[in-house]
Amino acid sequence: MQDKEVAQTFYADKLKRAIHLLLFKRGKMPGAKEWELKEKLGKNFEQVIEQLNQLLSELDLEIKKVKESSSLETMQENRPGEMTRYYITLKGSLGLKEAKMIGWRIDNLAALAASTAYLLSKQGKAPRDDLEKLLSNKFGKWKAVTLVEVFLRTGYLEEDDAGVTSIGWRTQSEVDLKALMTKMAEVKL
Amino acid sequence: MSEKKKVKRNSRASGRRELKEIVETCEAISERKFNPFFLDVRLGVDTLRQYFPLWETFADHCLDAHTLNRLSEVVRLQNTQLKFQSSMLYADPEFIARKVDRMSERRLAEVFLQSWHPLSEMEQLTEETFSNAIDYWNALLPISARWKRREHIDSKQPSSANNDTLIGLGIRGEEFDQQLTKLLDELRDVYKSSGNVDYWSFVRRPEYQETVHRAYLVSFLITYDYVKLHVHEDELLLVPTEQPSGKTRPSAASFPIPIPRSP
Repeated sequence: MQDKEVAQTFYADKLKRAIHLLLFKRGKMPGAKEWELKEKLGKNFEQVIEQLNQLLSELDLEIKKVKESSSLETMQENRPGEMTRYYITLKGSLGLKEAKMIGWRIDNLAALAASTAYLLSKQGKAPRDDLEKLLSNKFGKWKAVTLVEVFLRTGYLEEDDAGVTSIGWRTQSEVDLKALMTKMAEVKL
Repeated sequence: MSEKKKVKRNSRASGRRELKEIVETCEAISERKFNPFFLDVRLGVDTLRQYFPLWETFADHCLDAHTLNRLSEVVRLQNTQLKFQSSMLYADPEFIARKVDRMSERRLAEVFLQSWHPLSEMEQLTEETFSNAIDYWNALLPISARWKRREHIDSKQPSSANNDTLIGLGIRGEEFDQQLTKLLDELRDVYKSSGNVDYWSFVRRPEYQETVHRAYLVSFLITYDYVKLHVHEDELLLVPTEQPSGKTRPSAASFPIPIPRSP
C-alpha cells in the first residue's frame, strides 16, 4: 500500500514536469521534442503523456504528436528516426466571437482557410505567385501579399528558396486537414 | 564517311537538346508548376535509350545520368500524387479555387474554425530573465539622478551635410547601382580565377572606412541574391549567383558580421 502511494506521488511529479515542458515556451517553437520528454520523464514518457492527455481532455485540451517535417509527402509517410514534437492544442473548436477575442480577424481566418485548402489540393505545395493570385481575387493584391507574409512569419505556411509555398508546421499541428477538405467539399454554393 | 560523322554529330546535338528539355520539364514539375503526369516518363526513358550509344564525352554521360535522376524524381512525385489522390485530402485545385472565389469571407472563416484547434502555449519569466531584471533594477539610478546627469551632457543641434560629406558617404558621386555592379564584376573575376572567395580577403582594405563601405555593398549583393554567403565553421565564403533573381528572399535571415578595426 505504501509502495503504491510512493509510486502515485512519483507519477504526479512526472505529470507536473510533463505539463511544464509542454505548456511553457522555451525556444522559438512551443511544445516539447520527443527526446526532451524522454530525457526528463524517462522511458515510459508515452504513458505519462497518455495520462496527462486524459486529464487535459476534461479541460477541452489535448496533446498532439506532430512529425517535424514540413512537406505533406513526408507527413503521410512514416519515416523512422524522424523528429517528433508534442504540443497541447484545443480539443474542440472556437466560435467566430472567440476567435476574434484571441486576436483573429475574419478575413485573416478566411484567407488562411483558402490558402490551406488550395495548397492541400496541390499536394501541400504551390508557387507563391499562384497562391497570391488566388487570394488577390478575393482580398485584393496588396492584402493578399501581406496575408501570405503574415502566414509565413507565424509558421502557418513555409516557403523555400525557389518561391514554392507549402503547409507550415503550425497548420500541421493545429488544423485537422481532412476535416477542412471535407467541410470545403460539403459547402453548397 | 564524313557524311556519317556529320549525321552523328547532328544527332548528338539534338540529343543534348532533347535531354535538356526533359530536365527542364522535370524541374518545373518538381517546383509544382505542372502536374507530375504531364511528362510521359516512358517516352523520356526511350529518348535516353535512343541517344545513349552516341555519348562519348564525360559531360554527355553526366547529362544522361542527371536526366535519369530527374525522371526518377518525377516518378516519385507521380507515386505521391496517386497516394494523395486516394486519400481524403484530394480535391481538384480548380474546384477549390472556384469555391474560395464564391464563398463569403465569413463562411470561409466558419469552415476553417470547425477544423482548427489552436495551440496552447504560455510565455513566462525564466529564472535568468528574472535575475537580469533584478540586476537592472538594482543598478538603476533614481529618476532625479538620471535627469541631473542628462542636464550635464553637452549636445549640439543637428547640422546640415555638405557635398564632401555626402560624397564621402557614397551617397553622392558615383551612382550606387554602378558601385554595386563594379563590385559584383570584381567578385566574379576573383571567383573565376580562384574559385570560392573568402569574405574577409575580398572586403578588407587598408583603410577601415573602405572596408566598411565594401562590406556595406556586399551586404546589398547578398540580400538581392546576386551573391551567396556560405558559412563553413569559421570561414565565410562568397559565391556569385549564376542567375540572380534580383529579389530579396523571404526566407532570408539577418546575419550580422562585426568589422574589427584591426585584422
